Formats: sequence, structure tokens, C-alpha cells
Amino acid sequence: MKYIARFFLLVWSLFIFTQSVMANEQLDLKNHLLTKIDEVILIVQDKSLSKSKRNSDIIHTLQSIFDFEIMAKLSLGKNTWNELGKDEQKRFTELYVKRMEKSYSSKLDAYTDEKVEIKEILQPKENRIYFVTDLVNGGEKLEVTYKFYKPKETPSSKHHWLIYDVEILGVSILKADSAQFKDFLKTKTIAQLMDALDK
Amino acid sequence: MKMFYPFFLLFILFSGCGLKNINTPVATAQQQEKSAIADEQSGDDTELDDFDEFRDELEAEPLYDPLSGYNRIMTEFNDMFYIYLLTPVAKGYKTVLHVEIRKSVANFFHNLYYPIRLVNNLLQGEFKDASEETGRFLINTTIGVAGLFDPAQSEFGLKAHEEDFGQTLGFYGVGSGVHIVLPILGPSNLRDAISLIPDAYLSPIDYTSRDHFTLTDTKKEYAAVKSYEYINEFSLDIQMYEKIKKDAVDLYPYLRDIYEQRREKQIKE
Repeated sequence: MKYIARFFLLVWSLFIFTQSVMANEQLDLKNHLLTKIDEVILIVQDKSLSKSKRNSDIIHTLQSIFDFEIMAKLSLGKNTWNELGKDEQKRFTELYVKRMEKSYSSKLDAYTDEKVEIKEILQPKENRIYFVTDLVNGGEKLEVTYKFYKPKETPSSKHHWLIYDVEILGVSILKADSAQFKDFLKTKTIAQLMDALDK
Repeated sequence: MKMFYPFFLLFILFSGCGLKNINTPVATAQQQEKSAIADEQSGDDTELDDFDEFRDELEAEPLYDPLSGYNRIMTEFNDMFYIYLLTPVAKGYKTVLHVEIRKSVANFFHNLYYPIRLVNNLLQGEFKDASEETGRFLINTTIGVAGLFDPAQSEFGLKAHEEDFGQTLGFYGVGSGVHIVLPILGPSNLRDAISLIPDAYLSPIDYTSRDHFTLTDTKKEYAAVKSYEYINEFSLDIQMYEKIKKDAVDLYPYLRDIYEQRREKQIKE
């Protein structure tokens, strides 16, 4: 009887251990995300910076936490991506990243004094962590979800968890981009898509 | 073996530290099932690429879009309408009326549509939300001066629960159907467009003859009030449409996807 009890305790403690490893990983990542958000807020609040310096500083901060490359790849879809040559893949990624940065900067221009509150942390899979946050501005809240994944290998300049998608009010930017690229390519060429991204 | 229990206790204690402030990981049966299928399918490949890694998250059902020709034209029309007509009008209106007044106007209309929210919350079995909506209506209609202000939210912490008939149908499993871009109103789909009819029946702003009281009686009155409401709403965030449009490479599929994703999320809520 004693052995059975001991066996169950062991199994249970193993269960708790795996749970706590996951939770510690979440906690680490949560702190990292909050630090990055604070860094961005500090840059935004620094009125001595010129607009272009400010935006480039912010993008530099974000690059260590966002995986823009995978976003570019996934938004184009497997078939189209694989049809491209190495150079074209590289050019597409560059254009996509540039466009994301531009879009992010223009949104920051409208930034006043919003605050970010983390309301929920989800881990649907071992290598996925989602942060459901509220962007609070006065009485209004905007739900933004940051979706992280853990790549098999990451360059040293980046964190080992990276953002591959952002959802605003439940709308995934990755899916929206994927939808528009797919439709665009039904009637037009990849070269035309790159020109459109370059605009 | 005596050491086992102290060790165990210590272990549990420290495990607890890690769990502080954290929600337990959620792994729904569905997601596990999906990833299991994905693993099975890619079991033979030793080298998984990024696409396989994200397959179950991004693979969308092929969209049935037979009206895309019409929808594209209507998206163009709406785009012209927003940029060359609605935006300048709303800008002019914005300079005349202070933002607080415009917010009050929006509150007033929102309060009027309480029956739509009440009925659809009830139809979805959201009784708590329905009673909260009723509380909001009573407070805002009286203390909030006919709905011009929203003390229910600011003083009593009662949140609005936006529900419409399209969401009710979605709640009961009705699919979105063909995507349709409506003139002026913008992206919609078969389910949501048809749902405008029962919702209009519950709206106090309508032109068809009703047994109950409505604020407008004729089509002209209706059009005037609705246009005013629309311009007022648009004036509260004039830049929004252009901000969304900036990220579009191909406007029609982009807006279509944003609309469908948003509705899906609203139905789940």
C-alpha cells in the first residue's frame, strides 16, 4: 500500500514539474514581452527624438522579438513560396518586412498614452504561447493577441521565442495578408505583387 | 527513503512559485486532435519545414466566392464614396461639433438599439448579459438623459454586449454563406445581410408600418436619420478606414477577410 502511495506521489510530482516548466517559460516570456513594451513606450515618450530616429529605434527593438521573415513566408503560402527562386524569396521578405515596419510606424504616430495590460496567457501547444492583451486608452479597450512560437534555432540577436502573428480584435494580420496575396496572385504575377508591396 | 517526503514537499513548494500569476495552459481537445493529425500526416518526413509547423493554424478552407466580380466593383464604389463624399462631409461636421457632443449622439443611437441586443442575447441564452443590457438601458435612459451619456459603464461598470441576429444565427451553427459587399454599409455575407431584416424589426428607427412606436415613419425620415447616424459615427474616427486601407495590397480580399475573421470572433464571444 505504501509503495502504491509513493508511486502516485512520484507520478503527481512529475506532472507538477512539467506544468511548472511550462509556467516558468511563460513567466520568462511575459517579462521579456513587458520589457520590450516598456522599451517601446520609453522611446515613444522621448520627445527629443526626431520622428525617423524614433521609428527606427522602435523597429530595432521589435526586430529582436518579431519573426518578420516567417510572417512573410507564411503569408505567401507554401506553393507560391516554393515556386520562387532564392533571390526572389529574399526580395519578397525584404519588401514584406519593410511594409510591416512602415505600417507599424504609422500606427505609432497616432499613439498617445495607451497602456498594455496582459489579461491572459495561453499555451495551446508546447511551442506556442499566446498573450492576450488589452490596449487601454481611457475607457476604451482594444484586444491585441501576440502569438509566439519557439523556433528550432534562433540567431543570437533574437529571443528564443518569437512573434509570428498578431491578432487585433480577433483579426489575424497573417491570415488577412495571406487572403489578399492569394486573391491578388489569381490574376496578377508575383512581380506585380512585389511592386505593390514596394509602393 | 526517509528523504523522499521532505524532498517532495520542497519540490512542490518551488513548483508553486513558477505557477504564480499564470493561467494553466489551455489545450483543447480539438487542438490536440488537430496537431495529432498533422503529426501523423507529416510522420514520414524527417525534415519538417515551417509550413508544416503552422499548417493546422493557417490552412483556410477554400473560400467560395461566386460574387467576387460584383463585390470588387462594389468595394471600389464604397471606397470612392468613403473618400470623396463621406470623409469630407464628416470632416466638416467634426469641425462644427465638439467630440463630446458627437459621442453623446452616438450613445443616444446605441441606447435606442437596446431591443436588438436584448433579444439576441436572450436568443443565445446569454441571460446575464441580457440583464446587464437591461440595467444599462434603464440607467442610461434615466440618469444618462435619454441615452446621451453612458453612466452605466462609467459609474456602474455595466458593459455593453453587442449581439445581432447574424451572430445569433452563427451561434446556432449557421455558416456565413456567400460574401456580399453591400452598398455604403460595406462587407457582409448572406447570413448577416438577411439578418438585417429581423434586426430592423426590433429597431425603433424604421420606415415600414409597425404596431409599436417608431421614431421615423416615412422612408425620407428614415434615410435622413440613418445618414446622420452614419456620418456621426464616421466622424468619431475618420482616419480608421484609411488606416486599414493602407495595409491593403488588394483591397477587396483584404476587407473580406478582416470582416469574416471579425464576425467569427464576435460569434465565439
